[in-house]
Amino acid sequence: MAIIVTLDDMLHQRRMTLTELSEQIGITLANLSILKTGKARAIRFSTLEAICEALQCQPGDLLAFASASEAGKEVA
Amino acid sequence: MTHSYPLALSRRVLRILIKLNLLFGVLILALLVTSVVVEEPVMRALGAGSPEANAKLYLGMRLVAVIGLAGVPLVHFLLTRLLAIVDTVRDGNPFVMANAARLQRIAWAVLILELMHLAVAVIAAAVSTAAAPFDISRRFSLTPWLAVLLLFVLARVFEQGARMREELEGTV
Repeated sequence: MAIIVTLDDMLHQRRMTLTELSEQIGITLANLSILKTGKARAIRFSTLEAICEALQCQPGDLLAFASASEAGKEVA
Repeated sequence: MTHSYPLALSRRVLRILIKLNLLFGVLILALLVTSVVVEEPVMRALGAGSPEANAKLYLGMRLVAVIGLAGVPLVHFLLTRLLAIVDTVRDGNPFVMANAARLQRIAWAVLILELMHLAVAVIAAAVSTAAAPFDISRRFSLTPWLAVLLLFVLARVFEQGARMREELEGTV
């Protein structure tokens, strides 16, 4: 997908695990895992808000856009 | 998983209806065969009079039995699809494409059954006489036709619901 979720990098920067984030914002680990691995098809504003609040970051720190060709190169 | 009394009751009722339908099928077949093998006693027992005077009525009755027999697999198909839908409700995920397809098939089955019902009414009217009336329900009712319409609409509703559900499943 052209939208890349950079939650993993942000967690790394904040020295936080996915489990800790899950406990803090009340979203299941399974759902956060789906988001982290880029398997999610959509994200709610409320989820984005909760993650930004917990990680003290902006939505742009969690999401990035790569055109389809760039994304293809990354995979290759 | 969803457990509720009406759901459990529906499953039990559907299972009983499936067995009853098959039993009716066997009975109709038995009646049809015996009406050929020992024609006169069977037809007299059914109140159809003598074979000489009522040949048309005999034929009509047999035709109705054949239509009834043809309805058995159709009703079986309908009831088993309905049971499958109820099972998905029990499992907590009824909004799936398979249920939309099942509902559409049920709608077609009900439509065919209603056409068969109409055929039975036409046959009964054609062979019935004042001396030997063929008393079979032939009053036209709008309700089943509305049910057919409703089922087709519901199938589309399920299709939309399944699509929305799929989208929701990928939403975090």
